Amino acid sequence: MKLNPNIPSGPVEKKWDNHKFNLKLVNPNNKRKYDIIVVGTGLAGASAAAALGELGYNVKVFTLHDSPRRAHSIGAQGGINAAKNYPNDGDSVWRLFYDTVKGGDYRSRESNVYRLAQISNQIIDHCVALGVPFAREYSGYLANRSFGGAQVSRTFYARGQTGQQLLIAAYSTMMRQIKMGTVKMFTRREMLDLVVVNGKARGIITRNLITGELESHIGHAVLLCTGGYSNVFYLSTNAANCSVSAAWAAYKKGAGFANPCFIQIHPTCIPRSGEHQSKLTLMSESLRNDGRIWVPRKKGDKRPPDQIPEEERDYYLERKYPAFGNLVPRDIASRAAKAMIDEGRGVGPTGQAVYLDFRDAIKQKGIDKIRAAYGNLFDMYYQITDEDGYKLPMRIYPAPHYTMGGLWVDYNLMTTIDGLFALGEANFSDHGANRLGASALMQGLADGFFVIPATIGGYLGSSKFEDIDGETKEFQESKKRIKEKISRLLSIKGKGTPTEFHRHLGNVMWNDCGMSRNEHDLKHAIKKIAEIREEFWKDVMVPGTNEELNQTLEKALKVSDYLEFAELLAKDALERKESCGGHFREESSTPEGEAKRDDDNFCHVAVWEFQGEGKEPLRHKEELSFENVKVTVRSYK
Amino acid sequence: MSEDKNNFSVTIRVWRQNSPEDEGRMVAYKVEDVSPDMSFLEMLDVLNENLIKKGETPITVESDCREGICGCCGLVVNGDVHGPDKHSTVCQLHMRRFKDGDVITVEPWRVGSFPVIRDLAVNRTALDRIIQAGGYISARTGSSPDANITLVKQNDAEEAMDSAACIGCGACVAACPNGAAMLFVGAKISHMALLPQGKTERMERALNMIEAMDKEGFGNCSNEYECEAVCPKEIKVSNIARMNREFLLANFFSKEGK
Amino acid sequence: MNLDFLTRLYATSIGRKLVMSVTGLFLSAFIMFHLSANLLLLKGAKIFNGFVGIMEKNPALPLLETGLFLIFILHILMGAWVRWEDWKNRPHGYERRKWQGGRTVGSATMLYTAPIILLFLLYHLFTFRFVDHSMGYYEMAVSAFRSQTYVIIYIAGFAALLLHLSHGVQSAFQTLGINHPKYTPWIKIAGWFFAIISVTGFTVIPLYFFFGIDAKTSHFIIEIMH
Repeated sequence: MKLNPNIPSGPVEKKWDNHKFNLKLVNPNNKRKYDIIVVGTGLAGASAAAALGELGYNVKVFTLHDSPRRAHSIGAQGGINAAKNYPNDGDSVWRLFYDTVKGGDYRSRESNVYRLAQISNQIIDHCVALGVPFAREYSGYLANRSFGGAQVSRTFYARGQTGQQLLIAAYSTMMRQIKMGTVKMFTRREMLDLVVVNGKARGIITRNLITGELESHIGHAVLLCTGGYSNVFYLSTNAANCSVSAAWAAYKKGAGFANPCFIQIHPTCIPRSGEHQSKLTLMSESLRNDGRIWVPRKKGDKRPPDQIPEEERDYYLERKYPAFGNLVPRDIASRAAKAMIDEGRGVGPTGQAVYLDFRDAIKQKGIDKIRAAYGNLFDMYYQITDEDGYKLPMRIYPAPHYTMGGLWVDYNLMTTIDGLFALGEANFSDHGANRLGASALMQGLADGFFVIPATIGGYLGSSKFEDIDGETKEFQESKKRIKEKISRLLSIKGKGTPTEFHRHLGNVMWNDCGMSRNEHDLKHAIKKIAEIREEFWKDVMVPGTNEELNQTLEKALKVSDYLEFAELLAKDALERKESCGGHFREESSTPEGEAKRDDDNFCHVAVWEFQGEGKEPLRHKEELSFENVKVTVRSYK
Repeated sequence: MSEDKNNFSVTIRVWRQNSPEDEGRMVAYKVEDVSPDMSFLEMLDVLNENLIKKGETPITVESDCREGICGCCGLVVNGDVHGPDKHSTVCQLHMRRFKDGDVITVEPWRVGSFPVIRDLAVNRTALDRIIQAGGYISARTGSSPDANITLVKQNDAEEAMDSAACIGCGACVAACPNGAAMLFVGAKISHMALLPQGKTERMERALNMIEAMDKEGFGNCSNEYECEAVCPKEIKVSNIARMNREFLLANFFSKEGK
Repeated sequence: MNLDFLTRLYATSIGRKLVMSVTGLFLSAFIMFHLSANLLLLKGAKIFNGFVGIMEKNPALPLLETGLFLIFILHILMGAWVRWEDWKNRPHGYERRKWQGGRTVGSATMLYTAPIILLFLLYHLFTFRFVDHSMGYYEMAVSAFRSQTYVIIYIAGFAALLLHLSHGVQSAFQTLGINHPKYTPWIKIAGWFFAIISVTGFTVIPLYFFFGIDAKTSHFIIEIMH
């Protein structure tokens, strides 16, 4: 596997412009002769489809939902960053770039991150033009807020629904292209395979979720905008339909998978209430601005929180990190909570939670101020838990939220397969080992609206394509393989449901490969995953047939991919014998138990190459060099 | 608090329909060991898991985010669109709203323009086709000026946000005695008409979207406001009035060919 | 010549609703006019018959009556059309459906009050308009109002109208796009007020004659009226 990141030459601030100038262009009249396949209609997919349609390419876009507007980009609440510096508080493209590289714990590619910061301003301009109702000052100017511990106010927001509003903007501008005939929409289609012909990505196989028909779609380039894989943990803040399947299919066809072990675990989620739990709900981390996090000093203290006196409470974040207190970054807050729970000091009926207490804030600021700032979150908490957060402390627990790892891409967002591009959360490039708040939306739209329209021309303009059709050998073989897999799943008729296997896998991943990892647990996980996988293929129950709307079959296909992918994730975590960002290896920690990065041995991207079923994947490295950002140790003491 | 002693059982009477052509019927299932902390959809998950284990066909029910924002889910529970809780989607409904022995009727959206695909899943692509007809602002990528060049009154931005909050779940249509999509269309027309960026195209937008809405066979508005009462995002019928105004304006005063 | 702006009034859902609302408001105005004419009954035969005489001699009367007839027909046809479409879009009803707070008795019964009003109207036309008027209009009215059957039918018709107007008037404003957080609550109240005033006005008159109050207290009433 050749890993050429194709970073343009020149100073970092000139790279993107130079590169755009040097890229080959496609003649406007020839653009309609190119078919581009876009898989996924979240921020990255919808914006890419729209922008490419505007350029005149022939775009086919696929979603597994009934409507492209349902993608889980809608879940993002907080906002979107941009280096506009409207508040005049010292922000700049350079600072956003610097913060993102530092926040990523120096495991991202400088050139990509700089481009992201550069494009951030254009995104805001374009989204305003598309009608996103961003919050405004009384004067009519755009409002900004500080988010996720950033020292400048650079976050633009639309109430608590920024992700939804941005997705509606991208979706609606894509709908315009659909009306104009440049984009063709395929709903309720799940991509089950990537088709590579003579080394180039030339199409996909989809399953029509209503009829079960396997369909061949041919194109000159394929864009995977299929999001992340947090659901490998079964419980996460992601939507139920998020899966790794499309990226996994690409991996098996030769796309390198980068840093699968980099996962962001968000500290302020509502804890699970029992075995039946199907997903975890995130509450904005702004709650930590006023809430104090604590657990009882005594192990197994079952008293109700209001009966635990002050001196028997341990405000552990304030104790361990006096400088930042409750506002330490997400990864640190999450790990600290886990440490408390592992000590047996967790609270609530399951013992899998810590308290987030507003008693002092209410005393100090008055209940009205707290209600005004967080009322909707308290309501949400009440709706789910039936508990009043104003009277009793809320219970919170960390949950997988975002995956920084993904398909390896070069500066052009092209994977190791020619003509296969990965955009948004599906790629790995911009967030390193930890993502900053309000950066995911920025990256999805940057990739889709601004990067891919420039870079895809470079690929198409310099490549030669042979004529193929659905009868071509590779398509037929791929269909045959999927058919066999589906028949196999349907014929096992065992005793376990796909959800049960998924839940089982999730437990293993969470316990052995979650917030805090060590060699022993990871090896245990690898062994367990293989066992569950074997069990799955022996004992799964999928009723019904392929030729119908069969949600159990859809689920089984997703779980089967997670069962393979999980092993790669664990292997990557095992090989990365350092702690960085969201990845914490107990063996690589300071005497106080803080993360210790190992820049000498691990300042690289780990890229995994598929070697065939049942064979050990190969681990490649893309060395990272930091020419513009000074590599330092993150400390919040 | 999940304590087994609090668990209870309910009977679900649910619409089963194998395909759009199938006649369909109500089928009753008993669900045991329901925890009050379960969400309504998690209770259906439990029922489905049991059906799968028995080799029976589970109930097709759509949902994705399970936090009330994606607009995938939508059921009529005991005659209530999105369930008995105000201003929430059915995925936000919890079983603590029910008690032991309850018989719960579960039906899909009943609208001609949303044909049933299977069981509780309906086809809502008609709403997407209405958006295609004009629910956008035609700004080419790359052509936008600085975001702060056009000022937007805070009030207008807030009101536009109120309208833009629509999640496209179709509850308004399901609840409407006439199966009308006026709240959905009105909200989109309002969102764009309230913002200066959207004003250029407002005439064509109103006429085209209304035409598309009619083509899909949606009913007419009799101003009964059931849509507003069930909308999980609290979208107001003033959006429908604004759509009517936009129509009047476009029909009688626009100089364009339309 | 571009006539789209006219065809759209019947070819689009909102156009049809606009026609409903404008014709509805015209009919409401007519109700008010009719009521004020009827109130003249309380002033005795001479004044009432005199007024009717003037109306009958008005050369524009056929034109006005035709116009009124057309407005009625439009209102009814559009209403039927709209309901037909609504019905088509719900091929399968809910087994169970609770209304969740939007519907009112008035709005939920529009479909039923409409034919009741129409039937009453036809009855009214065939007992008053398309008959021999030689006995005098006042005398016709008073004799009808002394008949129990007629009074019951009359009151039932106006009860239906009360419900119809309670929703219809404010609904017409919404359809015309008149909705504002400051004024809409008042429009709703005004709609009810209008419905109650006109229906009370209409029903008071037959009761007045039916219970013979005209004979007992006509002087008193007439004093107040002055």
